[in-house]
Amino acid sequence: MEVKQGEFVAIMGPSGCGKSTLLNILGLLDDPDNGSFMFNGIEVAGFNERKRAELRKRNIGFVFQSFNLIDELTVFENVELPLIYTGVKSAERKIRVDQVLEKVQIMHRRNHYPQQLSGGQQQRVAVARAVVNKPKLILADEPTGNLDSSNGNEVMQLLTDLNEQGTTIVMVTHSEHDARYSHRIIRMLDGQTVLENIMI
Amino acid sequence: MIKQYFTIAWRSLAKNKMFSLINIFGLAAGICFTIVIVAYCWLQLSVNRDLKNADHQYIIQSDWKDKNAGFDLATFGPLAMEMRRQYPELVKNYFRFDGVTSNVSKNNTAFRENIQIGDSQMIEMYGFKLLQGNPATAMREPFSAVITEKQAIKYFGRKDVLGESITIESFNGSKKEFRITGVMKTPPPNSVTFLNRDNDNQIFLPENTLSYFGRDLNTWQNQHIVGYLELQPGANAKRVGELMKVTLSSNISPDLASQVRPYLVKLTDYHLGKENASVKKMLYTLAFIALFILGMAIVNFINLSISKASERMREIGVRKVLGSSKAALIAQFLSESVLIVFISTVLSVGLYAFLRPYFNGVLNTELPEVFAYRPVQFFYLFVFALVLGIAAGIYPAFILSSLQSVDSLKGRLGSMQQNVLLRKALIILQFSTAAIVLSSALLISAQVDYFFSKDLGYNKDFIVTAQMPRNWNPEGIRKVEQLRDRFAELPIVQNATVSFEIPDGNISGSSIIYRFGQDSSQGIAAQILSVDKHYLDTYKIPLSAGLNIDNKAGSLLNQMVLNESACRALKLDPQQAAGQRLRLVGWGGFVGEIVGVTKDINFGPLQQKIAPQVYADVKTVNIYRFISIKLKAGNIPDEIQTLQNKWASLLPGTPFEYRFMDEMLAKTYETELQLKKAAYAATVLSIAIVLLGVIGLVAQNVSKRAREIGIRKVLGSSITGIITLFLKEFIVIIIIACLIACPIGYLIMHRWLSDYAYHVAINAVPFSISVGILLIVTIALIALQTFKTAIANPVKSIRTE
Repeated sequence: MEVKQGEFVAIMGPSGCGKSTLLNILGLLDDPDNGSFMFNGIEVAGFNERKRAELRKRNIGFVFQSFNLIDELTVFENVELPLIYTGVKSAERKIRVDQVLEKVQIMHRRNHYPQQLSGGQQQRVAVARAVVNKPKLILADEPTGNLDSSNGNEVMQLLTDLNEQGTTIVMVTHSEHDARYSHRIIRMLDGQTVLENIMI
Repeated sequence: MIKQYFTIAWRSLAKNKMFSLINIFGLAAGICFTIVIVAYCWLQLSVNRDLKNADHQYIIQSDWKDKNAGFDLATFGPLAMEMRRQYPELVKNYFRFDGVTSNVSKNNTAFRENIQIGDSQMIEMYGFKLLQGNPATAMREPFSAVITEKQAIKYFGRKDVLGESITIESFNGSKKEFRITGVMKTPPPNSVTFLNRDNDNQIFLPENTLSYFGRDLNTWQNQHIVGYLELQPGANAKRVGELMKVTLSSNISPDLASQVRPYLVKLTDYHLGKENASVKKMLYTLAFIALFILGMAIVNFINLSISKASERMREIGVRKVLGSSKAALIAQFLSESVLIVFISTVLSVGLYAFLRPYFNGVLNTELPEVFAYRPVQFFYLFVFALVLGIAAGIYPAFILSSLQSVDSLKGRLGSMQQNVLLRKALIILQFSTAAIVLSSALLISAQVDYFFSKDLGYNKDFIVTAQMPRNWNPEGIRKVEQLRDRFAELPIVQNATVSFEIPDGNISGSSIIYRFGQDSSQGIAAQILSVDKHYLDTYKIPLSAGLNIDNKAGSLLNQMVLNESACRALKLDPQQAAGQRLRLVGWGGFVGEIVGVTKDINFGPLQQKIAPQVYADVKTVNIYRFISIKLKAGNIPDEIQTLQNKWASLLPGTPFEYRFMDEMLAKTYETELQLKKAAYAATVLSIAIVLLGVIGLVAQNVSKRAREIGIRKVLGSSITGIITLFLKEFIVIIIIACLIACPIGYLIMHRWLSDYAYHVAINAVPFSISVGILLIVTIALIALQTFKTAIANPVKSIRTE
């Protein structure tokens, strides 16, 4: 399969079909057992952990179903984290974090802890954290799975906006409704892609 | 119900093996150390308590205006007896003894022994047990002897030796048989048969034998006698002290009487208070260390329990929802901690049995074996463990049981958050203790090294000393000087000298000296050393002016050499001192002429300032004990063998019990050497406990933060970044702990060192070293522990939802 720059792709399929494994490989969290993976024109299969981590932190943002925010850090600090790891200076970090918090409309909660936010708000923080580094690719693993429909729609709208501004998005979902936000749907079964629906 | 608590407690321990092991071992180490210290303190506190009428037993001490003028622990010969005679309504009984050292032999077995010659009522007065013989009459006949069972075994190989005899040499070389009239059961630790290191007496002779040794207990001239009184019930010791002063004043010269004040010390207090209360100080120090180490182990326990608690919140919530009361939860947690403490206690008893020989060495004592303890003492240990278990468990129990059930069901931290601060404070306390103990240990060992490396002013290398048979008259001196020359002739010997004192701090003679033409009120107290003309050369004591004794021809007066301190005290210019005459109080109107002045040397331990000293000619003073032989550098064991052969041919039947000067010096620093060993033992233990605590907390932290680590890795954190995350927390803690520890450590060591007239300076080095060691060890430990988590694939930990 191939995902082009600027695409919004949804991956669907029953539990255990390999969606998340695919996402982990795409996200450079896991190394494929065999085969080839060209990322941005470079063969990355067989890269060691250090090289993958280097590539990952500069190019890929993650959004998880369970948000995966760090409870001990505030909203601001959570979003700031990727910038620290890519070595951005403190003054610039502050500007960029505030910009992205503004964008996901969570600015008023910047000094709160994750536990003090609703699920939708938490996922907006997670999205903010995923995009703060201006990644080329965002990988979203059932981003609306833990949200009610109105909060879910808000998050999907955010992702769509990001995509329109040029970010490539690959999203795993169970929801046909969410899948409709994407340009194309890849359906999987037993580790194989079986069908592709072009939405536009 | 209780059974169920313990079942649950046991399962919970088995489930968290790492946590349980750390807790149990940390506590066991702490408890074992506490048992050792308590046993040691118990032994020290019970010295003299087993004597008959222990509460009415006193020892006479002397307070000298000038510390160099006489002995604190000795008094005038007849004083104790006079007190009993004059004030029978106050004084029930008395005992006096004179300690001598002489050669004792039986057939081919010969040793130099400390012999106690004293009043015949000793055995009955103190209730010493005789295995054989009649306590009432054992010490009445002349030339009879009571010996301990240990000595019986040593000389006869058996204990039933009543009626046998041993040969004891007198100071003029004659030998006589002493009939054994009693075998004493090894007495409990006491200050009658064991007054101090130099008076560990195992052979007791009746007072009427004293003349055989040329000594006399019943003359007021003799001020080297140890005196004891047993007071009547209700008698006031202070009042008796005042009466002693009166009795003394009417029997000795007014000059001397104005110098000394006798007083009574209760025997039950005496042991702890003697020698500047060194025993008491040691006990306090050890008790403090034990308390802190136990405290640290308990802190670990509390810390680990609290941090583990967050994992158990769900269980607590479920129990509450199911109707458990707060009290039941508290009981459950307490039974868990009591169980842990009990397991630790059993383990610590095993550790005690295993480590007892080591601690015996450190504390220089004989700790009882495990099975020598009485059941009641085991009961105390049981109660101690119970109290400790409750004390250690009560805080975590209350914290956990008072969580809101909804919060705990949802795993919300809530009030747990505040405990982070408390836990950090506890760890800071632990690290501070470890840093204080470590820097103290370093300073103590620096001071001990200083004892042995300080330039003492003389040269002690290759000097062997041994006691010679005594024959204290001009003829005896002539003979011993001949013997000395025979030793000096040996090609392996550089020099040999005969003297009463060797530089080990034991100086028996002291006197008031004053310049000829002045009177005794202008005198100063000085130590009088009885030495021959080779003494200064053998010990390489440098002269700063004048000549050695015996080198100035044609002098008719007794020659003497002063040290510079004595010159200063007498207001004499060392360069012009030669030719001046001095008079000594109490040495038979001794007048001497100064022929030379030596530099000051450290004759005794470094606690003491160098005192004014007079080197007097052995020929005029007529007393000696030691021959000191300076060997040439070479094969020392061979040289000793040569000396031994020479000794055997010159002095047949006399034991050659030699000591190197270095060993003699080491003996004077026994307490410090002991403290050094104890401090290092405590350091190892405290660091081990701190590290156990750190391991436990980091392990808890790692498992609690596994998800966070995963997220951070996904977001791009490096492995070092993850490890640093854990390090940061502890480094701040260590730095705060060191900021607390350094000033406290400084104050403690400053106080300790101020007891020594000569001591090392406190600088930053020991503190930097201990901070450095703690930092390095902790960092290494944490890095090792977190490395595994840091390299793990983050996907797994994120998935733990």
